[in-house]
Amino acid sequence: MDSRPNPAPSPAAAATPRQRRRKSWAESLLGVRELPPGIGLVAVVLFFSLQTGNFWSPQTMTAISTVASTITIVSVGVTMLMISGEFDLSVGQNFAFTPIVWAILFVGNDVNEWLALVLALACSAGVGLVNGLVTTVFGIPSFITTLGMFFVLEGINNLLISGHQLIMFDPRASMEFLGGRIATTPFYMPLIWMFAIAAAFAFVLARLRYGNWTLATGGKVGPAKAMGVPTRRVKRRNFVLCALFAGLAGCMQFAYIKGVTQGQGQNYELLAITAAVLGGTSLFGGSGTIWGSVIGAFLLATIQIGLVLIGVPGSFYVTFIGVMLVIVVIANVRLGRFGGSQT
Amino acid sequence: MSGPTNSDHVIDRSSEPVFELRSISHAYGRNKVIFGVNLSVWPGEVVGLVGDNGAGKSTLLKIFAGYQPPTEGALRFMGKDVRFASPAEARAVGIEAVYQDLAIVDQLSLWRNFFLGKEIVRPFGPLKVLDRQRMRSEAEAAVAALGLTRIRSADETVSTLSGGERQSVAITRAMHFGAKLLLLDEPTAALSVRETRNVLHSIDRARAHGLGVLYVDHNMSHVLPVADRIVLLELGRVVRVLDRDEVSIEELQDLVAASAKRLES
Repeated sequence: MDSRPNPAPSPAAAATPRQRRRKSWAESLLGVRELPPGIGLVAVVLFFSLQTGNFWSPQTMTAISTVASTITIVSVGVTMLMISGEFDLSVGQNFAFTPIVWAILFVGNDVNEWLALVLALACSAGVGLVNGLVTTVFGIPSFITTLGMFFVLEGINNLLISGHQLIMFDPRASMEFLGGRIATTPFYMPLIWMFAIAAAFAFVLARLRYGNWTLATGGKVGPAKAMGVPTRRVKRRNFVLCALFAGLAGCMQFAYIKGVTQGQGQNYELLAITAAVLGGTSLFGGSGTIWGSVIGAFLLATIQIGLVLIGVPGSFYVTFIGVMLVIVVIANVRLGRFGGSQT
Repeated sequence: MSGPTNSDHVIDRSSEPVFELRSISHAYGRNKVIFGVNLSVWPGEVVGLVGDNGAGKSTLLKIFAGYQPPTEGALRFMGKDVRFASPAEARAVGIEAVYQDLAIVDQLSLWRNFFLGKEIVRPFGPLKVLDRQRMRSEAEAAVAALGLTRIRSADETVSTLSGGERQSVAITRAMHFGAKLLLLDEPTAALSVRETRNVLHSIDRARAHGLGVLYVDHNMSHVLPVADRIVLLELGRVVRVLDRDEVSIEELQDLVAASAKRLES
């Protein structure tokens, strides 16, 4: 139907992308976003191995892995949410709220322990749903929505256990399932859950349509919407996911230490964001990796426990983390790493 | 190297147009902005819709793209009466709007951008996973003709692409997914000469592919190099329809100048 010759292709078109596709292994290695935090983790581990005699002891490994596991699980949800372009500052309070609800139901009110767990997790997901709806329907920054939720949950936690501590002396099956010891190892169940959840969401992000939509929503909402991505729904789902994992990790913590106070999860909202950022997740949405957040969480845990081992007061570690966070972000901005690829 | 031309291009206007506006009028509240406009775009035709600010270009574009139904008149797509409740409905039948700043998500790789919202999936146990291999090769094959120099594979992010390349990718994407009508809103605004030529090449390819193209611009000289017909809009009315073969560039420019003068007085 058309006799007109095609316009002459520009000279650059002569070389097809296919021929130039192969990258050298060094190039591909540099493209791995988990590499810089990975190198950081190796350096920190080496440092503490050399500085202390008992870094590789079972006790130290137990301590690091359990601290890292719960932060990671919270951070996986936070990472998904951050990639979709939003924050959740209420995860730390949710981390206490959910196990408090769980414990009150099955310890105080004789609800079946599994049913109680499901109900408690439904509550934490409900918190995420409220965060998501308020943010997307009213179009306000999630920073504000979830800061509000932070205070709401803090008040509710106060009301529920008013400064007391809930302790379980005889752990139940559900608690063993979530936080019990893994037979013949110094490790506890949260470590397994953490790897399973991280692997699942690394897969979701890279291999499922939902992952592509999450990346696009946080990357640039206009084009994503124009291409038919339901951006608000994607954000809401990530809010729910994020809150659910915060609650689940809180229940694991409860099951592991067999008790819960209001103070559980203090600072976790910020630690989870820190782990994600150390792992290379952008603060502006659109890029990040789950394994990066896992490495970030292990970095935090290793420093926390390692500083105690070398005799630095335990509470000082947050100061150290604060300085490191700022340096890493400056380095990332300088190197233009934010906005890197997700293939 | 010559730029795109349209001199030896024959359009069959005896067939059905891709899209047709029949006596369209539109008002925002009591403020009437479009007055009985008739406008058709045929397959393989680039129609330049030109007019000053306030002439009604963006209102017509919104009607084309399904953002708002007109207050009066009929829309016909491929010979059938249509009425779009949303841009999604317009997209579903093959009307694709390409906006300069809404074309591309910077952080995503080329293939993720290319298939965004239309991902190819394959079964993987109970799940449907992205068929990355297929999307990579299809995206690379589709953009091969664009001669992108800044990225080397579909795995690279598009953040390094220029404004013109982004639009070329978006136009190519629309063609790939079987669009029938392409809507372009000042696609060469703020582009360099070379960039502009690349975008015009992409428009040319879309036309050669049989798509109808509505090219909206306030500047006649932007649409001149590619348009087969130029529709001059003034205060919500079509004042002239010019066939590209029948007028010279000088005449066209005189017309625009005359129109501008009329508006000033």
